[in-house]
Amino acid sequence: MANEESIRAFVQAVSGELGSEAISTGEEVLTRYGEHTLPGPDLRPAAVAFPDSTQAVQKLVLAANRYRVPLYPISTGQNIGLGSRSSVRAGQVVVDLGRRMSRVIEVNEALAYCVVEPGVTFQAMYDELVKRKSKLMISATAGPPQGSLLGNALDKGGGSGAYADHFGTLCGMEVVLGSGDVIRTGDGSLESASHLNWHVSKYSFGPYLEGLFTQSNYGIVTRAGMWVMPRPPHIESFFFTFPDDTDLHQIVDLIRPLKLSNFVPTQIRATNDLYLIAADCVHPEYGQSGGKKQITDEARRALQKRYGLGSWTVSGAFYGASRQAVQPQLDRVIAHFTRSGKGRFIALEEANEIAPLRISMNSYEGVPGEGELKMLRWRPGGGTIWFLPRTPMIGSVANEFHLASRGICRDHGLEYMVSNVCGPRFARGVHTLVYNRGDAEETARADACYRALALEFAGKGVFVGRAPTAYQGFHQGQRMSAFVEACAAIKRALDPNGIIAPGKYGID
Amino acid sequence: MHAPIPITRLDQARAAAGECVHFGFCTAVCPTYILDGEENDSPRGRFVLIKEMLASKAPPRRATVVHLDRCLSCLSCETSCGAGVNYRVLIDIAREYVESSRVRSLPDRLFRSGVAALLTSPRMLRGLRILGKPLSGLVCALPGRLGALGRLANAPGLAAFSPRGAPVLPAPCSREAPSPQLRSVALLEGCAQSVLGAEINCAARRVLARAGVRVVESRGNFCCGAMKLHLGFREQAIKQAARCVRHWGEMLAAGAIDAIAVTTSGCGSVIRHYDELFADDAELGQAAASVARAARDISVILAELPLPLANTNSGALVAYHDACSMKHGQRITREPRALLRKMGYVVADIAEGHICCGSAGTYNILQPEMSARLGQRKAANIEAIAPDVIAAGNLGCLIQISRFAEYPVAHTVQLVDWASGGPAPRGLEGFVPRPLAQEASAEVPAAEANGDNSAFW
Repeated sequence: MANEESIRAFVQAVSGELGSEAISTGEEVLTRYGEHTLPGPDLRPAAVAFPDSTQAVQKLVLAANRYRVPLYPISTGQNIGLGSRSSVRAGQVVVDLGRRMSRVIEVNEALAYCVVEPGVTFQAMYDELVKRKSKLMISATAGPPQGSLLGNALDKGGGSGAYADHFGTLCGMEVVLGSGDVIRTGDGSLESASHLNWHVSKYSFGPYLEGLFTQSNYGIVTRAGMWVMPRPPHIESFFFTFPDDTDLHQIVDLIRPLKLSNFVPTQIRATNDLYLIAADCVHPEYGQSGGKKQITDEARRALQKRYGLGSWTVSGAFYGASRQAVQPQLDRVIAHFTRSGKGRFIALEEANEIAPLRISMNSYEGVPGEGELKMLRWRPGGGTIWFLPRTPMIGSVANEFHLASRGICRDHGLEYMVSNVCGPRFARGVHTLVYNRGDAEETARADACYRALALEFAGKGVFVGRAPTAYQGFHQGQRMSAFVEACAAIKRALDPNGIIAPGKYGID
Repeated sequence: MHAPIPITRLDQARAAAGECVHFGFCTAVCPTYILDGEENDSPRGRFVLIKEMLASKAPPRRATVVHLDRCLSCLSCETSCGAGVNYRVLIDIAREYVESSRVRSLPDRLFRSGVAALLTSPRMLRGLRILGKPLSGLVCALPGRLGALGRLANAPGLAAFSPRGAPVLPAPCSREAPSPQLRSVALLEGCAQSVLGAEINCAARRVLARAGVRVVESRGNFCCGAMKLHLGFREQAIKQAARCVRHWGEMLAAGAIDAIAVTTSGCGSVIRHYDELFADDAELGQAAASVARAARDISVILAELPLPLANTNSGALVAYHDACSMKHGQRITREPRALLRKMGYVVADIAEGHICCGSAGTYNILQPEMSARLGQRKAANIEAIAPDVIAAGNLGCLIQISRFAEYPVAHTVQLVDWASGGPAPRGLEGFVPRPLAQEASAEVPAAEANGDNSAFW
């Protein structure tokens, strides 16, 4: 942590070089930018900077090197449950790229990609495509519409639809390294006035550096290309619901072949009852138990009945020329999921009346929405932690993890809420731990629950794919030491003074 | 303090503020924060200022009043909130606190009271329109709020809503009652709307008649109280609202009406919360709740009714604007779009639909600079659509937007009226129907059939 004098000198230098609007130490600003939803105190930054260009970011980084001030870049800071706008450690200078770097630099209709700055949100990109009468669509997330498209991808976030692998859609970046150097990745690195392949090919000469700038602190990505898909004339969402908790076993085995052959083009989600239902109601027994116990099975069953949903709901979508065109695929999938007699097909008309499913339909249509995040008020107090492991697409394995996780949540008096976002070989397990951050005892339980889950999964050979800031050091400690040392060596090479987000993802 | 706010209401405000758990979703969608990035012009900033103000029990600081006045009450924050904070309650109480503390200068107080009185009194409004006409050019040139009022009075959109004479009610399209639940309705005329947007009410009467729904005439035009409530004049607002509750409550209790049709969503968003406004009123509480339940936006009512299709409007491109009082205040977004599509329009969403147009009741008079920036931003987003017409469910929005966007404006019900056999809204008289896009065939989508090879489905 830099001392007060260094911070003061840094702020003065930035103010002089970039203008007073480029940095703030206002009391309200520092308070707000320190807030988050994780266990532990808020993390007040030393200042908040608002650069407006790559050059401005470069000047910030050079000044930070001069005064040895740590910077913590954020895109829009909407990753609630993963750290929000706060830095990984108190006293760092938050660099809010979202405020003034929110330009859609390019939309290429023919090759279906866009080039964006970090402040471009899902909503803004959706709006931009609407405005341009574009034939393209974004892969929306279940996260906040004001979340950053680029920030989500750099944190290996996912979305809905066929382009749900946001990390995979990244192609061609501009990065300010910790040293202050600016690089363009891939074909962008060619010394040339134009770069035709920069945002279309990942197969450039030499090493593939882009992965280095995801979930790391080696540089500040100031723009990147992202692939988007052509909007289909017709999008047909489908839903099935299964009654029992252990049905996850057969569900995962049913989904796998559909994804391996890409028969269903979108990711397929297998979401549990409470994850869906919590978007539309609050914990019915919280007052009664004081939040000390997991919801009872009776109350859970009552909620299932009220919403017409079972323990697991499967959703996905088909794309095609028309409803008639996709009907044969839909018929086959209906037969596939209902064959065992456990899955029930939910027709669109019915799904449209079930609020949590309507949220999914919008998401498959590429329309950002805040609906799913209403689940965060399931318990009072605003505490949220996302636990994000991935499990292989084998039913018995998925079910084993599910039963263990459910038990751990029960032991800690918290609800088991998960959406398995299934691809061909692995599923992202999007677990939400909602707890009362205003209650120290419940907060301690949530913290212990997260760690217990992480240890359980790691013990069975599964690592997290993404982590809240408060746990990044803990997870880095779960790794082999040679890997940790390799990360540190790269850090020293690209950011010799350790300026950019020291401690982020456990890298110092 | 002039008139102390009851402790129960202050507790309600504190409880609402206490619900905030600092997610920060609201900040990103707050129009004033988006414009200037000022923390105290964000919902989170205002929360803190309101909490401090209420806790101090002293007159508010000048800075607090400035930041609260800049709030549009658009409730975009409430829609996005992951914690379910009732921002509406909070800002209403805060405004009431500010007004009752009498910290404003005398000219400011007089101006605000005058605007509230003018816009809620059809007689005064009508008189001023006639008397003020010769001076309108002069007033428009004035700086500040008076000039804003003048420019608003000269908004191009106003011409679209002037009456065409008493409506000739058409015969119903079907002899059967449209639905057993909906045979007769009361129609809220609106204070300002009855003068500035009379054609909207005429169109509503024609459409309802066409659908076989009888409009039961009220014994007068009552103000719902929305305008004064939003300005912090709660006592006066409740008096106005009480008259509505008594009147409609009696009609509902007697079975004379099945619903209250609302064509001004700014009013609708308040009437549909009458139950909360009168929660502690032993005399009117029950009636208020029944009125709140019976009040329905006209688009919601019409979406369920049978209407003939005249096809004079086919293919007209509508840029549909979600009035904040519809989208955030009442959470009505799907029905108007579905209704317009059903009536043969092509409906386009306007980018940044969560951001207010800057109308916000009296905001465009009291905060003209901020309002104009929002109006220009909305117009720029509409420009990208280049629609045949801009539609919304609220007169105020349409007047505001017409100042910045050069396209005809029409209330949703006017478009439904036109599509079902009524007159074309002004500015659309020469519209030539276009064929609607052909339904895609089972195998080949329409775009591909027309030679578009940019994608293959």
